[in-house]
Amino acid sequence: MKNRLKVLRAERDWSQAVLAERLDVSRQTVTAIETGKYDPSLPLAFKIARLFGKPIEEIFQPDEIGQP
Amino acid sequence: MKRPAFVDRGLLCIGLVLAAWLVSYFAARWLLKHAAMGTWLRVAVALFPVPFFALFLVLFIRNIRSMDELQRRIQLEALAIAFPLAVLLLMTLGLLQRAIDLPFEDWSYAHVWVYLPIFYSLGISIAARRYR
Repeated sequence: MKNRLKVLRAERDWSQAVLAERLDVSRQTVTAIETGKYDPSLPLAFKIARLFGKPIEEIFQPDEIGQP
Repeated sequence: MKRPAFVDRGLLCIGLVLAAWLVSYFAARWLLKHAAMGTWLRVAVALFPVPFFALFLVLFIRNIRSMDELQRRIQLEALAIAFPLAVLLLMTLGLLQRAIDLPFEDWSYAHVWVYLPIFYSLGISIAARRYR
């Protein structure tokens, strides 16, 4: 899953530590999400979306959209 | 995540209880080897470290529950590595014991348990590296 977390964080000039504190997770978790090594749970994804004031699909996109 | 003060206190408590368990364990071993006691007293001494370990387990689980979702996943993957390794070690030693009669003093379960925290640490290291 791709995400725009790093871009959104940079737009607000937040460090990973600041974002981690606001999300109540470890900095390692923020790093792993940003680098695509870890996909957050749905509750955490919603928390991220709420923090940035955006719909969840604007922040997280699937790697490949499958055909119906 | 900046750990709240109660989590740091929790880690300190875990360390203290673990130290208490280790002291009670080695004290029990020493007493069972060197002190002359009746059977029931020997059983009581042998069981003496159990409550310390039970408390350690409760605090350890509480600490894991206070972690975020990635940290919990790392713990799970560490156990998924450590547990089969422990089974492999015990199974292999069991077979080797049958094959070449390993000396009990060096390879009994009393010595093998030392490898369990090593496997767990190895699991933590491998799992954590994956998400770096």
